[in-house]
Amino acid sequence: MFISALRRFAFAYGAAFAFFYVVARARGLALFTVYPAQGIVLLGTHRSRDVADPVLDFLAPEMYWYGWSASAAIGALAIGLVAALLPDRLCWLWALCAWLVPSMAIIACVHLTMPWFRL
Amino acid sequence: MATTLLILHGLVAVALIGAITHQTLAICARPSGKPLSFFGRFRAVPGAGFTNAIVVLYLISTLLGAVVYLYFKIDVQPILERDRHWHALGFFDLKEDFAAIGLGILPAYWFGWRQPVGSHCRQMRIALTLLLAFIVWWSFLIGHVTNNIRGFGW
Repeated sequence: MFISALRRFAFAYGAAFAFFYVVARARGLALFTVYPAQGIVLLGTHRSRDVADPVLDFLAPEMYWYGWSASAAIGALAIGLVAALLPDRLCWLWALCAWLVPSMAIIACVHLTMPWFRL
Repeated sequence: MATTLLILHGLVAVALIGAITHQTLAICARPSGKPLSFFGRFRAVPGAGFTNAIVVLYLISTLLGAVVYLYFKIDVQPILERDRHWHALGFFDLKEDFAAIGLGILPAYWFGWRQPVGSHCRQMRIALTLLLAFIVWWSFLIGHVTNNIRGFGW
């Protein structure tokens, strides 16, 4: 019983993590922003160019990847817990989503990265 | 410090790429015909035996990569931007994204390999293994190219 709930959690977590990661990436929803040069971590999404001249951006490069991953992990945790509470007969659906959603997320990430290749 | 971590990251990645390639070939190309050939022996391994090692190596590699990424952002990315290596930066962005998605599917991958063979999860097991193998290979190659970008003449 516990193992099957854990399995549903794992399958749903994988699918939801990929989905929420793409949403966080596309919408800029980082749980926190890291400024490695200053050794600062700020809650939420912050852009140094919003408060300083864009040409000085290189002095305080910001990092969102950690924040996007954390946002996705929290969203996925919630979906995973819901899936764990649902009946086991839906396990085939979670198993399908566990690989289908991440595959689509990979394609979405390629799409989101396209601006780099147009420079 | 950064160089030591990068070398360690690379060594863990080599071990990971070996394990995931063994497992992927074992699940996709079942042993037949010439068991004594190099390819035959390479794929004739019990795939399930690699699962725990792959999960642990992936976690260690991602952790090391996440630390090295801080140095990359400060010391390397400005140089790549100055030299207009936009494609390299784009490919590296994809490496970050794929690595994060791979981290998310690890629990499902682990459970997929714990299922008895022949269950409805077989399709998922194959798909997740292929997906993880793609992510590991992509991350390895892009990391390697970025690390040696001045020698590539891009």
